[in-house]
Amino acid sequence: MNGIERFGALVLSGLEWLGGVARLVLRVLRVGPRRPFGFDDILHQTVELGVRSLPIAMLITLFIGMILTWQFGWGLEDFGATMALGNVVSVGLVPELVPSMLAITVGVKMAAGMTAELGSMKVTEQIDAIAALGADPYKKLVWPRVCASTLSLPLLIALGNLIAMLGGMLIAEWKFGVPAGYFYETYIDELEPLNYIASPVKGVTFGALVGAIGCYQGFNTKIGTEAVGAATTDTVAATAIIIIIADFYLNTLFF
Amino acid sequence: MPEPIIDFRGVTKRFGEHVVYERMSLSVLPGETLTIIGGSGGGKSVCLKMMIGLLVPDEGQVLFHGTSVPDMPEEGLRQVRRKVAYVFQGGALFDSMTVGENIGYALREHTDWSMARIEQRASECLTMVGLHEGVAEQMPASLSGGMKKRVALARSIAIEPEVILYDEPTTGLDPKNIKRIGDMILKLQRELDVTSVVVTHDMPTARKVSNRIAMLYQRAFPFVGTADEMWHSAAPEVRDFIHGRIRRAEQSAPAHPVDAAEDSRGA
Repeated sequence: MNGIERFGALVLSGLEWLGGVARLVLRVLRVGPRRPFGFDDILHQTVELGVRSLPIAMLITLFIGMILTWQFGWGLEDFGATMALGNVVSVGLVPELVPSMLAITVGVKMAAGMTAELGSMKVTEQIDAIAALGADPYKKLVWPRVCASTLSLPLLIALGNLIAMLGGMLIAEWKFGVPAGYFYETYIDELEPLNYIASPVKGVTFGALVGAIGCYQGFNTKIGTEAVGAATTDTVAATAIIIIIADFYLNTLFF
Repeated sequence: MPEPIIDFRGVTKRFGEHVVYERMSLSVLPGETLTIIGGSGGGKSVCLKMMIGLLVPDEGQVLFHGTSVPDMPEEGLRQVRRKVAYVFQGGALFDSMTVGENIGYALREHTDWSMARIEQRASECLTMVGLHEGVAEQMPASLSGGMKKRVALARSIAIEPEVILYDEPTTGLDPKNIKRIGDMILKLQRELDVTSVVVTHDMPTARKVSNRIAMLYQRAFPFVGTADEMWHSAAPEVRDFIHGRIRRAEQSAPAHPVDAAEDSRGA
């Protein structure tokens, strides 16, 4: 197989994979909104995926806020413009860094968890057993997970925005002598309505992608426990790449 | 001859290049216990999965009470799966649920029974498979292999099916548990008057529970008959299988593990 053939095969397998994920999404949209809606399962998954991710999300966003403020403060100090820290940091954090960093860390963790869990269920024939008992595995397993990740990621991002701002405020006051109240005012002043929209829209999109990719990879795990590990590793890479591409596309739409 | 409950007509099934069945025909008659025997990796489980639409044939027909299973709409397929219970090889119990919840799963799906009634039914099913009620509160991970198989049996009978499909019910069990599972199959057959299809390569179990035995060999069932007919068969492939001799053609043909849910409609 020469280089061109290899590249062609890679493109084809990528397209096939995207087609598979799209088919899963369509099927879930068809069977999911039917009665019973499965609120209990959605709530359970939201707790599993969202609430249990709270500590890691808070830690990450606190440090993102502190690092970005430190970096910008260091740059602005040369121009005597540290008082503009709030303005600069807010447009970096709210529409971009908090959503994308949380999606790549917490979102990828969610997707990998889904793949590992569903992959194990596939290997032990539990997914077949659900179908054999007359239930729809897409409704029972995929729908609650996709709903939970779509719901919890934007909420984590909203909270993350707050924590990142507090982190920034801490560094601005302690390191660069910018009063916290002033930092807050300039931070909020700089944000336009589009920034407030971009952040949750990105959260919902990334959440849906995380759920769809995590579940698709789990349902398509090959035979054997080794395959569960391989599928989970692939999920980490695939989710991160797709999130970055989706982030770029959303930025071109919003800004 | 009575009308078959499940009927395979000229079924061909492939997984990529690997042909599992080629123009295979087989009938399951009402009230009987049909045992499917054959070498490992030959596709015995594939046959069971086609019966309830978990896998679809590439050619030919799979009929349930005369209706094509692969062509059924979703609701029709759901009804087939209500009537045909499947006992998976490893039990396939849901890890996140208690034993009682596992047994009540199909009841929650197919009936509007109260939780108390479902729990009551789960206890009855546990008693029927020789387990005490207290097991209902345990998680599947805390059960032994033999207990898991019996819980899987209990789950399969909870909804009072017409047909029970057993996928290698004795694999991985000690002789005592193999005997117990064999007795259980006979007991359920007698008490519930169900039709059973048992996939196994355990010859004593096959002989004990079967009304008829179908032998899978080279992508079809060249032998279908009673246990006695099988034991007295002069067909070389049947004699070889009974005595555990490996034929040259089989030696050179690698067994292909089959990704059962690869083209599954349900999963």
